Amino acid sequence: MPRLDPVTIGLLWQRLTGLMDEVAGAFVRTSFSAVVRENWDLACAMMDAEGRLFAQSSRSIPSFIGTMPRTLRAMLERIPAVRLVAGDVLISNDPWLGTGHLNDITLMRPIFRGGRLIAFVGGTFHCVDVGGAPRPDARDVFEEGMCIPVCRIVKGGAEDAEIVSFILENFREPAEAMGDIRALFAAFAVAERRLNHILDQERIDDPTGVVDEILARSEASMRAALAATPDGVAEDVLTADGFDAPLTIACRVDKRGGDISIDFTGTSPQIAHPVNAPFNFSWSYTAYAVKCAFDPAAPNNDGGLRPVMITAPEGCLVNPRRPAPVWGRHLSGHYLPFVVMGALAKLVPNRVVADAGAPAWNVYFRGMRPDGRRFVKMYFMSGGHGARAASDGPNVTSFPTNVANTPAEQFENDVPLLIAERRLLPGSGGAGRLRGGLGQRISFRNPGPAPVGFVIRHERVDHPPRGLLGGLPGAAGRDLVDGARIPAKTAMTLAPGSTVTFETPGGGGFGPPEERDPGAVAHDRAEGYTP
Amino acid sequence: MSLRIGVDIGGTFTDLVLLDLATGRLTNAKVLTTPDDPSRGVLAGLAEVLARAGARAADVSQVIHGTTLVANAIIERKGVRVALVATAGFRDVLDMAREWRWDIYDLTLQLPAPLVPRSRAVEVIERLGPDGAVVTPFDDASAHAAATAIAGMDVEAAAICLLHSFRNPDHERRMAAILAEHCPGLAISLSCEISPTIGEYERASTTAANAYVQPVFRRYIAGLAEGMRGMGIGVDLLLMQSDGGTAHQNTALRMPIRLVQSGPAGGARAAALAGQLAGHADVLAFDMGGTTAKACLIPAGQPVRAPDFEVARIARFRRGSGLPLKVPAVDMIEIGAGGGSIARVNALGLIQVGPDSSSADPGPVCYGRGGTEPTVTDADLLLGYLDADNFLGGAMRLDRMAAEAALARFGARLGLTAVQAALGIHDTVNETMAQAAGIHTLEKGLRAQDFAIVAIGGAGPVHACAVAQRLGIGTVICPAGAGVASAFGFLAAPVSFEAARARVEPLATLDPAEVAAILAPLRAETLASIAEAGIDPATCTVEASAELRYSGQGHEVEAAIPADGATAGLRSAFEAAYLALYNRIEPGAAVEAVTWRVIARAPTPDLRLAGRSFAGGSVPPGSRPIWCATARAIVPAPVYDRYRLGPAERIAGPAIVEERESTAVIPHGATARTDAAGNLVITLEPAA
Repeated sequence: MPRLDPVTIGLLWQRLTGLMDEVAGAFVRTSFSAVVRENWDLACAMMDAEGRLFAQSSRSIPSFIGTMPRTLRAMLERIPAVRLVAGDVLISNDPWLGTGHLNDITLMRPIFRGGRLIAFVGGTFHCVDVGGAPRPDARDVFEEGMCIPVCRIVKGGAEDAEIVSFILENFREPAEAMGDIRALFAAFAVAERRLNHILDQERIDDPTGVVDEILARSEASMRAALAATPDGVAEDVLTADGFDAPLTIACRVDKRGGDISIDFTGTSPQIAHPVNAPFNFSWSYTAYAVKCAFDPAAPNNDGGLRPVMITAPEGCLVNPRRPAPVWGRHLSGHYLPFVVMGALAKLVPNRVVADAGAPAWNVYFRGMRPDGRRFVKMYFMSGGHGARAASDGPNVTSFPTNVANTPAEQFENDVPLLIAERRLLPGSGGAGRLRGGLGQRISFRNPGPAPVGFVIRHERVDHPPRGLLGGLPGAAGRDLVDGARIPAKTAMTLAPGSTVTFETPGGGGFGPPEERDPGAVAHDRAEGYTP
Repeated sequence: MSLRIGVDIGGTFTDLVLLDLATGRLTNAKVLTTPDDPSRGVLAGLAEVLARAGARAADVSQVIHGTTLVANAIIERKGVRVALVATAGFRDVLDMAREWRWDIYDLTLQLPAPLVPRSRAVEVIERLGPDGAVVTPFDDASAHAAATAIAGMDVEAAAICLLHSFRNPDHERRMAAILAEHCPGLAISLSCEISPTIGEYERASTTAANAYVQPVFRRYIAGLAEGMRGMGIGVDLLLMQSDGGTAHQNTALRMPIRLVQSGPAGGARAAALAGQLAGHADVLAFDMGGTTAKACLIPAGQPVRAPDFEVARIARFRRGSGLPLKVPAVDMIEIGAGGGSIARVNALGLIQVGPDSSSADPGPVCYGRGGTEPTVTDADLLLGYLDADNFLGGAMRLDRMAAEAALARFGARLGLTAVQAALGIHDTVNETMAQAAGIHTLEKGLRAQDFAIVAIGGAGPVHACAVAQRLGIGTVICPAGAGVASAFGFLAAPVSFEAARARVEPLATLDPAEVAAILAPLRAETLASIAEAGIDPATCTVEASAELRYSGQGHEVEAAIPADGATAGLRSAFEAAYLALYNRIEPGAAVEAVTWRVIARAPTPDLRLAGRSFAGGSVPPGSRPIWCATARAIVPAPVYDRYRLGPAERIAGPAIVEERESTAVIPHGATARTDAAGNLVITLEPAA
C-alpha cells in the first residue's frame, strides 16, 4: 500500500475517533448502571488485528485505555484469532489480564471484512458487584468475587446461555450487570457496521496501513516532545497509608532523547491485603502520567506510548503475583502518576502537577430496599486536584481517574439513604504559590428502618497529598460515624438514624506559599476557600 | 394592522425583515448593532425598515424579536450579582459541579467558574425526600437569617434551588416569600419554575443563569417597549425562544434563560420555511459563518429539540467545558470550523482546521489586514470558489496572491502544492462537518439521506454540496437573503410554550387518571403563557409527551402520550422510539417515566410571499477557473449572478452562482434552478 498522504490519513483518523465516541455514547445511553451512566467508569477502543490500539472514546478512564490492548493480546493467547468467527464476543474480568481487579469487565468483538479479521472493538466498564465477599481483610483474590476466564459469551451472534448463567447466579445485581453487557453488545454491532462503512467509502480493504501510519505519527509526536526536554535521571519515593504498616512506592525515571524509562524497584513487596496493583494497571497509570506531562494534545494510542518503557520487580506492590488480593488495586495504582510526577518535577517542573486527593475515594453500600429488593451501590467522591505550575488545583475533581459524581437527587431515588451534606472543606487545599484544590465533606444518613452495610478503603488519611517544589501538603482525609473517627479501611453497618461522613483529602500546593499573589490570598479568604 | 416584523440582533448587524401580510411583500434592512444598548439599534432598524417599506408604525401587528443578549451576558459575564439559596449542606452545589474532567490528558485543565461565587451562596434548613415528602421541616428562622444575609450582599437577583423541589415546590415558594419581604425589588428565580428537572447541579446552574440575566433583560425590554411606543408601534413584543417557538414578552421576562439560543432557533425556523417553500419537509439546516458551522435537523418542519444545552464553553467542541442549562432548545450543534478558522499543521504532521479563528480582524490572509495563517476562506479563494474582485458584492477586494503565498508555505510543510494544500483544508473541514452531522443524525435515530440541506451563513452555500455528497444527500437549498435568515425565520415561528416537570413513575402502576393529574398543571401553565400572547388557546395544538427509560437506566427517550393517557400505548410508543435509536428493546423490563412535558403551539403562521421580481432578463454568465473534484483539476466554470437568474433557467455543474452575501458552488453532475420562492435548489447526482 502506498504511503498515505496527510490529508487522507487525517480525515480517516478523525472518522475513526468519531466512531469510538459514537460507540461509547450508545453504550452509556442504554446502560443500566449508575457507574456507567453517571460516573462514566468505562472506555471503548478499537484495536487492529494485531491488537494495536488506534482509536478510543474521548471520555475514557485512563487506565482502561492502557489495559485494553494488553487484555486483547492476552485473550488471543488463550483463544487464537483463527478460532474467532463473525459475531463472537470475548469476555473476561481476570485482574492480571484486565484492569487489575475483578470489578472491571472487558469485552471484545472481532470485526471481519470480506471474511478476514481486520480489527477488534473493545469495551471495559466497572461492574459494582461481581459476587464473592470483597472486604478490606480479603487475603486473596478468590474471596473477591467470581473470575470470568477468557471465553466467548457470544458465539457467532448467539449468547452462550451457560456462560451467562454463571453471571446470573453469582452477581448480586445480575440484571444490572447483564444490562450493561448487552448494551455493549449492541454498541459493538454499531462499531462493526460503521467501520466497514468507512472503509467502503474510502475504498480500503485492510486498515493495517492506516494503523501503521497513525501509530508512526503518534510515536514521532511523543518522541519529539520528549526530545525537546532536558535529559536526566530522577527519583521519587512516597509513602502510602497501607494496612498494617505504611507502604513505599519508589520510582526512577530515566529520560534520554526521545525515550523514557520508568522503573519501580524499591517499591514494597505485595501484601496480603487488597491493595496490590497487577502490572497492567500499574503500566497504564504510569504511561498516562508520561502522556499528560509530555504530549497531552495528540490523540492517544499505542504509537505514542512506544517510547515509554515501564518495569517493576515481580512480586512487588505494583506487579504482584497471583493470587494476591487486588480489589482495591487503585490504592497503590492511583499513586503512580504522582510518584512519576514527583520525579519529573526535577526534570520538567513546568509540566507536572502536585499530588491530588487520590487514590480515588468511594464507598460501597449494601442492603435491602423497603420493598425487599437487594441493592449494592457505589458512590464516588473526589478529593482536591493538585496545584499546577500556572494555576490552582480545581476543587473536588477526579484525578488520575475521571469519574463524575452521582447527583444526590438521583442517588436518593435509587438507594434508601439520605445525603445530609456535600460541601467543600475550607482550608483543605495545600498552600503554595498555586493552591491545591479543596476536598469535600459528604455525609450519608440512614433514615431507617433497616441497617445498611458499607465498605470503605481510603488512603491519604495518615499521609496527606504532597505539595511540589515548596508547596505544602493538602489536608488528610477522615472517616467518621456520628462524629467519631472510624478506620479508613473497614466494613461496617450503619444503624438506622446514624450518619457516616467522609472528608476527602485536599490537593497539594505548588511552589512556596510565600510567593502566592496577595490578591489570590485575599480572594481565597473572601470566598472561604481558606479559613 | 398587517405588518409583521422580525428583528435579529447579531454581533455586527441587527437584521430586520418586514412582511406585509396583505401583499406578501418582504422588505429587509440591516443596521449596525449598538452593543452598549442594543435597543437603540433595534429602534433605528424599525424606523428604517418601515421607511423602506413606506409603511406606518400604527400598522405593525407583530414584532418578533430574537437576541443574543442573554447568551452574551453569560459568555461575557455581564450579568448582575446573584445570590444562591440552597438546602442546608449544599451551598457549594455550583462550585463542586460534577467532579469530572472534560479532557483527560490536560493537566492545566480549567473548569467554568460558576455564575454565583461561593461567598454569595447561603443555606436554609429544610429537606425533602425523593418523593417530595418533608424530611426536615422548613425552618423559618434560618430562612430569615439567609434573607438577611442576602439583603446585605448588594445583589440584584437571587436563585433558589432546594433538593427535590421539582417534586414539591412548597419550600422554595416559602423561601421566596421571605426573601421578597427582606429584599423588596429583588429578582427571584425558583428552580421549581425555571427548570423542574432531576439533578441538583444542572438545575441550580440553570436557575442561577436565569437570575444572572433577568434584570439585564428586564431593563432592555423596558427600554425597547418604551421606544416602540414612542414610535407609535402599539403592540407588545414576541420573543424567539431557544426551542423555536415565540413567547409574549411577559413570559420571556419570567424565564429569560429560555432565550439563550434565540438566534440559532430563528435560523432553524428560516431553514424549515425555505424547505417547506421548496417542497422539502425534512431538512438539515447547515449554517456556516465566520467562526463556526452549525447544524440542526428539522424532520417534518419541526426543528429537533434538546432538553438541555451548554453555554460559555471553555473549549468550543468539548462537552462538559461549559455551564449546563436544562432548558429546551433547538438542537443546533456545532459541527466544525467557519470561514475564518485557521488551518495548522499539528504535531502529528496533519492538517487541523480551527478551533481558533482569525475573527473579523485581521481576518483571513486574503483580507489583507495582516493575517498570515491560511484560513478556510483563503483555501476557498484559491480553489476559485470565491471571487477576489466581487466579494460581498464587490464591497471588499480579496488578495489572492497573499492567500496563495500563505498556502504555498503551509503546503511546503506537508509536501503539497498551494492548490493541494487548499484542497486539503477544504476537504478536511467538509469531512469534519459531514462526520459530525452524520453522527448527530444517527444519534437521533434518523438517516441523513432522507433530508435536504438548507445552506445559510456566508460560507454555507460554498461548502453545502460537498457536505451533502459525503452524507449521501441529494438536494441542497440555498434560500434567498441568507444574510437575514434568522430574522426571516422569526416570522415563520409559531407562538408556543413548553412546560416540563420531573417525576419518576413506573408505568406498570400508573393509571390514566394519574397521568391526567400530572399533566393538568403543565397544560394550564403552557396555555396561560399562550394566552398571554393574545392567542386563543382553543386554536392551539397541545402535545403531551414523556421521557422514559427502562428502570435502572439513566438516559431517557421521548415518546408521545396517547390522548387517552393509557400507559400501554405509552410503553409501545417508547419501545418504538427506543428501537429506532438503538436497534433493540428489552422485552419484559420495567419502564418508568422520568420527565413529563406539555407543549402548546399556536398555528404556524401561513406566510404567503409575493412572487419574486427579477432584476432583468438573463445575461450570459461570466467564467472563472475552479477546482472540480470529479476532474481532479482546475477547470473553467460559468459564473452566474443569482439576481439575474430566470425562473426557467437550469444550470449544470460545475458552476458558480454569486450573490451578495454568499457563493453557491455547484459541483460536476449537479443541476441548479431557482424556484418560485426564490430559493436556489441544487440537485446532486445520486451517490456512486
